[in-house]
Amino acid sequence: MWVQIQQALHQSMLRVITKVANLLPGIVALIVALEVAIIIAAIVGYILRRSLKSVQFDDRLASWGLGGLSEWSPANSPTLLTIRVVCWVIIIVGFLVGVSAFDATLTSQFVERLFGYLPNVIAAVVLLLFGSVIARFLARSVLIGAVNMNLQYARLLSIGVKWMVMVLAVAMALEHLAIGGEIVFLAFGILFGGIVLALSLAVGLGSKDLVSRSLEREASRTTEEADDPFRHL
Amino acid sequence: MVELSDNPEGAKEEAQVVASADLVVGFADAKAGEHLERTIEIVRTGLEALARPPQTAIAYKSGYELPPSLNASLGNDSLRLLSYAPPALDPSASVANAIATDYRAIASISEPLQPKAYLLIASDIDNVTPQWIFDLTQPIAEHNFDLVSPCYTFHKFEGILNNAILYPLIRSLYGRRIYNPLGPDVGVSAKFLWQLLRTDSVKPRAGLSPRITIPIGAEAASRGLQICQANLGERKYPPVDWKNLSSLLAEVLGPLFQMMERDAPVWQRVRGSEQVPIVGPTLHQVDDAIEVDVRRLREPFQLGFRNLQEIWALLLPPKTLFELQRLGRMSQEEFRMPDELWVRIIYDFSLGYRLRTISRDHLLRALTPLYLGWVASYASEVEKLSAAAQHRIERLCEAFEADKPYLVSRWRWPDRFNP
Repeated sequence: MWVQIQQALHQSMLRVITKVANLLPGIVALIVALEVAIIIAAIVGYILRRSLKSVQFDDRLASWGLGGLSEWSPANSPTLLTIRVVCWVIIIVGFLVGVSAFDATLTSQFVERLFGYLPNVIAAVVLLLFGSVIARFLARSVLIGAVNMNLQYARLLSIGVKWMVMVLAVAMALEHLAIGGEIVFLAFGILFGGIVLALSLAVGLGSKDLVSRSLEREASRTTEEADDPFRHL
Repeated sequence: MVELSDNPEGAKEEAQVVASADLVVGFADAKAGEHLERTIEIVRTGLEALARPPQTAIAYKSGYELPPSLNASLGNDSLRLLSYAPPALDPSASVANAIATDYRAIASISEPLQPKAYLLIASDIDNVTPQWIFDLTQPIAEHNFDLVSPCYTFHKFEGILNNAILYPLIRSLYGRRIYNPLGPDVGVSAKFLWQLLRTDSVKPRAGLSPRITIPIGAEAASRGLQICQANLGERKYPPVDWKNLSSLLAEVLGPLFQMMERDAPVWQRVRGSEQVPIVGPTLHQVDDAIEVDVRRLREPFQLGFRNLQEIWALLLPPKTLFELQRLGRMSQEEFRMPDELWVRIIYDFSLGYRLRTISRDHLLRALTPLYLGWVASYASEVEKLSAAAQHRIERLCEAFEADKPYLVSRWRWPDRFNP
């Protein structure tokens, strides 16, 4: 019996060593692939940093109305964000190459699902970008318009508009990414509906005195304007 | 103001048979059609003083029937009548837009007559006299001027936008002292008017309306045309629509800033300014001591400063923002916006418009609180003055001219020169 135990142990040890020996090239290939990917990412990152700084990428984005991107970027620099995204993409690709050394089937299935999901990611990113641009534009329009109408709560209105548009854009992006599912729809509906209902109640019930005083002030202002000595044109 | 573009679509025309005319006198005021006999009498009397009264067509807004007596008297007259119906405008359209639309309709309907000159009158017909007709026509008909721009009796709180920005800026840019570069009551040669009609900048972009207005005085100055001014007298200004003040600023300043962009090679070479010849009787100075409530002008400025600083910071250099901050802390008695500060604000906004630092419409509307701040400062200074207020405007013009090198430097090197 002791001989059989010895044989069983010997065979299992042999199997494990064989498996480790089979995996070793794959592990080495993964490490090599990662190292190569890191080196390539570093080189690409360096080239990208020089190029983006030379075209003043951060300033151009701000002038195109995408200044909000800097608020989400590390060190408020969209250049740094772009470089990091590109570098991590290269490293991930290197990782996939390394992983395929273990099991090509596993990798190909993973890559297939990843690339199938990629259009959704791109659409979500585009939605967020456009949402950000539109939110900033509308917020600025509302702010300037409200100030010119002499509304004291101009900034509040502007912030409200900006966040409503952003919430809408985020909800649409999450739908594209198939994250959250029904929970996101429900949360968005409750949030949006709640905001509108609260505003309606505030104006209709809670602020009726404020609204009527504001309307009276506007009506008396109209009378004052008739006696206004100023003529602009 | 002349709205210059191609013929409007959908403009309804009711025209009597008019073969040709040397002069078209167009009235934007609907009352000119309502009291047609008086209108014709004014025009006839004004033109009779000319050495050779031209064949004239009077364009008036349609909707009024010709009195039977008038039909008979016009039979042997050199005067002919032409009615026009401008396209319907949005009720919220500004006065500038409305007048521009009327002028466009007049130009369109009278094009077949191939006139040599136009008289375009927007003022209340009750203020128009035969002397107006004579003074606006004679320089063009007898002395080959291309534009006769109006001069009105100076009232310190009338034509404020003109005095604050248009007159000083155009004087500084083009070197011609045109007191009312927007008109609206002008005499213009047909050649110049049709040149403007073909100017690219006023062609309507596909799918966009309304059309823009153009400072006709500035256009004539930029082309080096012959300009003179006519002392017309009192003008009844339309009441202010405070809710649409930012739209008015956008409609008036937008085309002017576009012209600056187009004519940069021209105005950068101009230094100083020269007087434009003036015809007509001397205008009487008016002593109008009026009490004004400056507080309601200062409040929008302070509200703008609290809320629009981030936007202004994109357009104005730090030194200017610091000055505005100081201004915002002043009491009502001390509230004075220095001319140098106002000049730099206008110059920086024109540069921001050219560079498209922010949306152009946002830029022009963000100027409104600053403009009201200037008006508050100006009103405080001149409230107790009468004729001396006119000298105040001349000082502002001199400040615009003196600081023109600042504009030229920033225009040429927007990134490098930023005080």
